Amino acid sequence: MKRRSFFLVASGALTGAGCGHRRSAPFRTLSESEAATLEAWCDALIPSTDGTPGAKEARTSRYIDIQLTRRFRKFRPQYQQALAAIEKMTGGRFTEISVEERTVLLEKIEKGEGDKALWGPDGGREVFNLILQHTLQGFYGNPRHGGNHDYVSWRMLGIPVVPVRGRGVAYGA
Amino acid sequence: MKTVLAIAMAVALAGLLLAPATDYAYKAGGGEACARCHEIAPQVEAWMESSHREVRCEQCHHSGMLTNMRRVRDHWAGEVPAKPRMKHADVLAMTERCRSCHQQEYAQWRNGPHSVTFESLFLDKKHNSERILMDDCFRCHGMHFEGGIEDLVQPVNTEGPWELKRADLKNTPALPCLSCHSVHRTGQPLKGHVRKAGISWREEIARPSLALFDRRSLAPVALGDLPLPVVYEDERPVKMSPDQRQGLCYQCHAPLAGGQIKSGDDRTPMGVHEGLSCLACHDHHRGTTRTSCATCHPRLSNCGLDVETMDTTFANKESKHNIHWVKCADCHPKGVPPKRVSSSSPRLAP
Repeated sequence: MKRRSFFLVASGALTGAGCGHRRSAPFRTLSESEAATLEAWCDALIPSTDGTPGAKEARTSRYIDIQLTRRFRKFRPQYQQALAAIEKMTGGRFTEISVEERTVLLEKIEKGEGDKALWGPDGGREVFNLILQHTLQGFYGNPRHGGNHDYVSWRMLGIPVVPVRGRGVAYGA
Repeated sequence: MKTVLAIAMAVALAGLLLAPATDYAYKAGGGEACARCHEIAPQVEAWMESSHREVRCEQCHHSGMLTNMRRVRDHWAGEVPAKPRMKHADVLAMTERCRSCHQQEYAQWRNGPHSVTFESLFLDKKHNSERILMDDCFRCHGMHFEGGIEDLVQPVNTEGPWELKRADLKNTPALPCLSCHSVHRTGQPLKGHVRKAGISWREEIARPSLALFDRRSLAPVALGDLPLPVVYEDERPVKMSPDQRQGLCYQCHAPLAGGQIKSGDDRTPMGVHEGLSCLACHDHHRGTTRTSCATCHPRLSNCGLDVETMDTTFANKESKHNIHWVKCADCHPKGVPPKRVSSSSPRLAP
């Protein structure tokens, strides 16, 4: 093997080893299972119905995942605890149960009736509101932040992606 | 001692290899290698479906060793934006790379009003003394600029004298290629068109790359999502061409909220030119209309005259008859006389 080839192969292998472990991870912060749980949670909050998109189509879980590396960084522990808790409540089947079943569970948490050992003294009410707020942001917000994929919620509401906005008369026009 | 030395040498060797390794990771394997870092995987996937799929990443994107090392550092440090995008400097550099393949289009753009520079636009004494500059100027001019108007021009008032905060930006084009084009937009490569889509590129109305860079979303918006407004002459809706390409024009040359023709920077054709598309007269990249009259006149002329010498703003900018809105009655207030088409004038077949 020539010296140049050796260095190219060696350097490529070194970097490949560094980046390789991330190749299969589509989310930045959450693990695959956490991401699936969060997606199911968001889907129950804004389900897609006949002809109207929901949180899944808007990719709100991706929005939350992106923001967990940025502005929501401080909420990481709360997310990890909440996602683990909801999985424990359903015996690891939260993503498999129907939207209706998920809704019943989440309504309990919304009312603060979650198991205090799992959810803390407020029974999960605070983290429920946090995730609800972030889901709404990801659904209705500007796609530049990672959610509202392809402007699905704006299209649903009939809001133009970019409106025509005139300005005052330019001189000489 | 030998162990410590060996470890130190191994660390030093790894450090030495890191620079070429990061560089090689980007360059090897084209788009596949770029997609290894999952932040840009969506962009790479879009590129693979785009009309530019045969152009390799590094042919358009700067890929020097230092840049690649910075990218890897940002990746590991988690300093990645919500949506990775090109910086203003990258967009400007891209314009020159577009030129390497699209030389004719580049030359036309360079010779037209849409290549206006920051200096001539933002330091225009007449404009600045009449209207105060604002952040919304960037919606159409310099939409990729990172910062507000105060980061570009000082002072922001109608008194002046105005100067650019960064002198190196004075020759910067306010509307680079990526203002109206998105390279990663889904579509067929030009040369494969006949084979893949069953149509000639000459039959195509718009290239798939046409998209407006929306400063608010920090993303290009495809032509199909750019609305055509309803424009009124008092109560009457003006007949509009359905040419969707005009969606790009109307983003900047738009009527005011009431949609009245001639309001704001509206140029919707009315009168003898009503129903024509902007692109029927204006050259795509140059924006000029110098040769456009001959496309239709005198064959489609109502009076058989040399329309280019008529009293309109086409012949004279000071004329009171704006070419966009001129009507027969403007010159014939007592009624349009019967046709006087000479026998030598070429006519369309009935």
